[in-house]
Amino acid sequence: MIDAAAIRGRFRERGFIVNEAFAMALQLVLALRKPLLVEGPAGVGKTESAKVLADVLGTRLIRLQCYEGLDALTALYEWNYPRQMLRIRMSEGEGGSLEDREAQIFSETFLLKRPLLEAIVQSTPPVLLIDEIDRADEAFEAFLLEVLAEWQVTIPELGTIRAEHPPYVILTSNRTRELSDALRRRCLFFWIPYPALDEEIAILHARIPGLSERLAERIARAMQVLRDLPLQKAPGVAESLDWARALISLHRDHLDAEALEQTLGCVLKVREDQQALDSHPEALRAVLDETGLQPGGRSLDTDFGLGSVSTPRT
Amino acid sequence: MTYPFATLPGNLAAFCAMLRRDYGFRAGARELQDAARALEIVNLADERAVRDALRPILASRLEHARVFDAAFDRFFRAAGGPPPRQMPSGRPIESRKPGGTAPGGGQERDDDADVREPSGAETAGGGAVSGVPGTNGEARPALLRATSSPLEAEGAMPVLGPADRAWREAASLLLSRMRAGLSRRWRPARRGQRFDLRRTLRTSLHTGGDVVMPRWRARPRRRPRVGMLIDGSRSMTPYVAPVLDMAVALASSTLDAETFTFSTALRRVTREVRRAAAGERRRLHLHHAWGGGTTIGACLREFVRHHGDRLLGRETFVIIASDGLEVGDPRVLGAAMGQLSRRSAAIVWLNPLLATSGYEPTALGMSAARPYVTTFASVANPADLARLARTLRI
Repeated sequence: MIDAAAIRGRFRERGFIVNEAFAMALQLVLALRKPLLVEGPAGVGKTESAKVLADVLGTRLIRLQCYEGLDALTALYEWNYPRQMLRIRMSEGEGGSLEDREAQIFSETFLLKRPLLEAIVQSTPPVLLIDEIDRADEAFEAFLLEVLAEWQVTIPELGTIRAEHPPYVILTSNRTRELSDALRRRCLFFWIPYPALDEEIAILHARIPGLSERLAERIARAMQVLRDLPLQKAPGVAESLDWARALISLHRDHLDAEALEQTLGCVLKVREDQQALDSHPEALRAVLDETGLQPGGRSLDTDFGLGSVSTPRT
Repeated sequence: MTYPFATLPGNLAAFCAMLRRDYGFRAGARELQDAARALEIVNLADERAVRDALRPILASRLEHARVFDAAFDRFFRAAGGPPPRQMPSGRPIESRKPGGTAPGGGQERDDDADVREPSGAETAGGGAVSGVPGTNGEARPALLRATSSPLEAEGAMPVLGPADRAWREAASLLLSRMRAGLSRRWRPARRGQRFDLRRTLRTSLHTGGDVVMPRWRARPRRRPRVGMLIDGSRSMTPYVAPVLDMAVALASSTLDAETFTFSTALRRVTREVRRAAAGERRRLHLHHAWGGGTTIGACLREFVRHHGDRLLGRETFVIIASDGLEVGDPRVLGAAMGQLSRRSAAIVWLNPLLATSGYEPTALGMSAARPYVTTFASVANPADLARLARTLRI
């Protein structure tokens, strides 16, 4: 059993920074074998945390992406009807009793395992990621309660399949609707907020090793400011990383007004939010670099005006 | 250091009881058991580890997670004292004195919804309605006085009670007329647009594989969600009783109705409204969300920002009950209404002044909001609500 400190270390090795509280929550998932419901704003790394956990545990990640209209069969299993039809037609002349023919076509050969069943039949516990559970409707949530409680599935034609090694389950939610108390009570809960300044700088360095200290700090500061503005879609960590990569591809090693204008689309993705930033021109002034902006709009320490040509500098 | 019980399980149970009683947590026997198991794997001398281990188990939602640390401090740290060096062990410790303060310094209180429903989002406008009972029991009454509106002092806070049958029928009619479109989910149906191959094949087994009875799937209608925002400003006082009845009637008819009141602050009262729908009669204590002036725009903006992700969507019908007398910046109201309009199915504005002959919605607030409103109406009784339902075109 790995403890919270080891989890932090292994996540860090994989470029994912987790704080002590989240590491403890993950430790509890492993120790108590309870699902972990992770909520937080979009882009803070909820889904990624499950992927990294699977990597850390050296096990398989099985993902169930929820959406409105997702039903139990789509999540659990389906029969391969075209193949069954083909078999019925091919065996029409063979004779045999109806029961034999039925047993033949409703065997595992014709079973299409969907994520939940796939997670149940693994020989080692996988990480089951049930992503954006809030997008599924209440009926599916109720069905999920049953699966999470029993870890067994009954297929009428085959019988009951019980998990010998129940998976580690991570559920994520963006809070587009309120989840039921019943589901919450079956899960551990962790809220991932936007990272603090130091955490965000650490994340930027961990995920983009070549990023300069100064640029990482400027991006993180700008993000803190932007998240305080009245935006419809506040930028998450994913946007910070995209922004940093965009600036690097433009050979920018600092963040000035021109760089901001060129790359704003990496950060603010709603027109009203860009207008909101325009109406608060003073907001980012303190974190933008004044230096480096040369006549002509290009900084001398970039690529001498080659613009967005992605040429690695030595 | 004072703990109520001599053993760790005893203190853990007392902590859970305090979370339930004072903070509205749903920490039951299962959570208690999990918490005890979690404490077996953490270093009890490390307060942070204990805190981090208990939080994911006992706090099952963001609102609870936000107040957990304060509750933890309140229980496990002596009020006003230095931080503890170590968590309680099995060693006997000083027991709780009868009639004294509760563990951590808090006092026993009645079932005060303001305290039991702590939420950072709701406190944003309300300021001191923190949801975190003070660590010092004496400080709390002063805090409450500072946050009460003039009407609360006069005992004029609204009383919620069950809605009568006429209101409930009118509310059901309204819900049935709200067209939220079709779900993406395909369900088995007698008639439908999609052929159900699986069920058809299953049925055909009885006839040797020959398809005799085709089966179909269809998309059911989405269930409408309702977000009701009630203006509790002083100018609305004469008109607000029927609106509250309507809110309770809606809550009686669907679980997908959320209710908020606002004045100079926004407050979620869904739980209180649901209790009223279940037959409970009680007076609300709404502080700045009742009885003051009206900053509609700021409150709607707060609603969108803090509750929009959870409540708004194409199946959500927003009902705003207000006279539109805005004392804030109308541009803020216009912007908030724009966001509400984009993120909801329709906005119904219930303006009691509409029933006044010669009234024109020309006030600055109404002018800013009007472009985004789908339906204007005035509801003073169940018949008005039924009429609104019948004429609704959304």
